[in-house]
Amino acid sequence: MKILVLLAGVADMRFALHPIRLTPDAQILEEGTARRLLSPFDEAALEVALKLRDGNPDTRIDVLLLEGPNTENLLRSVAAFCPDSLQALGIQAARLWHSRESARQIGAVIDQHFPEHELVVVGRELGDLDEGSLPPLLARSLRRRQFAMAQVAQWQGDRLLLMRERGTREEWLTVDQPLLVSVTNDKRNRLRHPLMKNVMAAKRRVFTCLPVPVAVTSGPALRALEAAPVTTRGGQCQMLGGDSAHQAQALIGWLKDQGVHL
Amino acid sequence: MKRLVIIPQVWGATALDTALSAGQHLAGDGGFSVLLIGSQACALDQDLACRAGAETVYQALHPGLQEGDDPYAVACAVSEALAAILPSPREPYLVLLPPGTAGEELAALLADLLDGQPLGRCLSLSVEGEAVIAERAAWGGRMRIKLQVESGLAFACLRAGRAVYNLPVTASICTLNLHTSLPLGWVLQTHESSERLPPLEGASLVVSGGRGVNEAGFALLEELALRLNGTLGGSLPAVDAGRVPVLRQVGVSGKFVSPQVYLAVGISGTLQHLAGVSLDSQIVAINQDPEADIFKVAAVGIVAEWQSLVPALLEALAP
Repeated sequence: MKILVLLAGVADMRFALHPIRLTPDAQILEEGTARRLLSPFDEAALEVALKLRDGNPDTRIDVLLLEGPNTENLLRSVAAFCPDSLQALGIQAARLWHSRESARQIGAVIDQHFPEHELVVVGRELGDLDEGSLPPLLARSLRRRQFAMAQVAQWQGDRLLLMRERGTREEWLTVDQPLLVSVTNDKRNRLRHPLMKNVMAAKRRVFTCLPVPVAVTSGPALRALEAAPVTTRGGQCQMLGGDSAHQAQALIGWLKDQGVHL
Repeated sequence: MKRLVIIPQVWGATALDTALSAGQHLAGDGGFSVLLIGSQACALDQDLACRAGAETVYQALHPGLQEGDDPYAVACAVSEALAAILPSPREPYLVLLPPGTAGEELAALLADLLDGQPLGRCLSLSVEGEAVIAERAAWGGRMRIKLQVESGLAFACLRAGRAVYNLPVTASICTLNLHTSLPLGWVLQTHESSERLPPLEGASLVVSGGRGVNEAGFALLEELALRLNGTLGGSLPAVDAGRVPVLRQVGVSGKFVSPQVYLAVGISGTLQHLAGVSLDSQIVAINQDPEADIFKVAAVGIVAEWQSLVPALLEALAP
């Protein structure tokens, strides 16, 4: 089994966002010291692949990480999990607002370099500018079907099973064709910690970058990029004091006032 | 610029309501049309679309859609319907899908099948002449981008609250019988999960837990949600920790909820989480950190550890 994992990274929410601006030719420019790390969906996609390799050592994992700020450090953090290969992909993660074009570009690279990979695994949202459009579009570009919102992948003998939950049921698929699998976060695919020796080895790695075909500039235009305004809610928080019993009684009284049926 | 709202009927009442609301929100002077698609005609859905102000209601029927909600099969059927409805694929059309993960996926597939542009999950949409302007969140809600589609088909999802159904009924209803061969759905084995709580969609009260609440705490939150006739949600870190299933994740990458009361326990109040809670919902914040951002947006706040307050609430609510 050959698995290709596609990762993008996101800005670390624990820190202030680095300066980002729009250039006169409508390109997004990220400046300053950006702190990019794997998103929960990236981590889930990587862990799913690692678990499949744990279950079958013949499994090969190749990883592509979209370019962007702090790429080298992010590559090193991924390298610590010892994929069989790891390369940057020469498309800026900040370009993914143009999901159709990006999917075509990424699909062309996969077709050229990883045509025999049975699984392409990707988080259900890719990076800071994709809201879930890219996985289905990439599946279309690769002429594959997409199994969306996967939570578990596991071997049962020689068979590979994928699972997702819908409502009150679990849905299990036996993989019998090349697929694109978009993975969501779940306790069963929380990314493991790498071994320290692998972290140290990753520091010495040198990485290459796979170029992508030149974009065909059609489709939507990026007209503006600006900081999000502060959202105003009702707020005016009414604080309830006293001990827990008093706070509980006060809250129940407030809920009754709101018409909550108790 | 014409507007068309597409509603796969198998997706249920919430999808119908939120999509019609988006249509009303963007109707402008030109009004909007509705495409209902399913395996059987539904008079109730047609009536709601008419009373929401649709000018034309297309009822597209395909017997192959009765089995499920495979997005690609739906997209193929919708494509056939649109070929009959749209005079030309180059004519500007704003096509609205129900907001949510399934709608966003369908928007992307339709854009690819019909050579249009997917605009995805939009915070706002406007029409200027023949152009569609879409505003979207980026970088975890900290930035906004504006995209412009100048021509052709634009496919988008927009949350615009709930629809109103008190408009004069003027719509004509056209039935479209579809015949395209649909891709086979997945052959899946299904098992019942342990999920028994009411869904987040449509809940009037949601009790939601965050990173600071452990497994025992979530058991108490579930009990509290049931006592309050509500349901249970959780933040992304809580889902990651396995406290609550991903189907109950609230936030920009999870479900959007619009209960009357959103009771947030041990939730700090990140932008990504709050993006999943309607501005119309009243937030009750319970957090041991008095500096937590959640208090800035809450209607009611309690600085307390959940370990003491939630049991006190349950005791006070005991019959």
